[in-house]
Amino acid sequence: MENDLPRRREAEGLSQGELAETLGVTRQTINAIERDRYDPSLELAFKLAAHFECHVEDIFDPKESID
Amino acid sequence: MDGPGQARRLYYRVVYTILALAIVGLLAGLVTGWELLGTVVYCGGAWVGSGITFLAPKLTDVPLQDERDTELYNRASGLTLGVLFVLGLSVIPAIYVLEAAGRIEPPPEVIGAILLASGLFLLWGVAYGIVKRR
Repeated sequence: MENDLPRRREAEGLSQGELAETLGVTRQTINAIERDRYDPSLELAFKLAAHFECHVEDIFDPKESID
Repeated sequence: MDGPGQARRLYYRVVYTILALAIVGLLAGLVTGWELLGTVVYCGGAWVGSGITFLAPKLTDVPLQDERDTELYNRASGLTLGVLFVLGLSVIPAIYVLEAAGRIEPPPEVIGAILLASGLFLLWGVAYGIVKRR
């Protein structure tokens, strides 16, 4: 699932490790999400949305999955 | 921000080193004739390694494993069981039929492997039933 996580993370000046620590996951998980190699759980998606103060669908684009 | 990453790396290094030493100890015991000592080293290493993997995540806030690790383990386990299932379905009935017909006489190792695979599937079925009801 495509996402704009790298842009949002870099806009906050956070490294993958820092974002991972904030969310309670590993840096490898954040890296995998950013590279579209892993779709996060609903819980983690909502944590990301809460962190960036937006909706889940603002970060993740489900179009490709629905099509 | 190297703290969690370092802790995670240390955790995996410690666990894998202990398990590697346990296996080396067992093999060394076999080669040198100290089988009992090798077995004790192996059992000790296996128990300590398993204990660390069980206790460490409960004793620290650092995410040693997370949801992605769990998914990777699940996918790898599913793939392993799938391969075993296909191999088992295609081979085991044929072995039983050919043995019953007197065409082949499987060595004890093959019988042992069949029993091991059967036990594994039985255990998986029990575990699936438990997980499904929880």
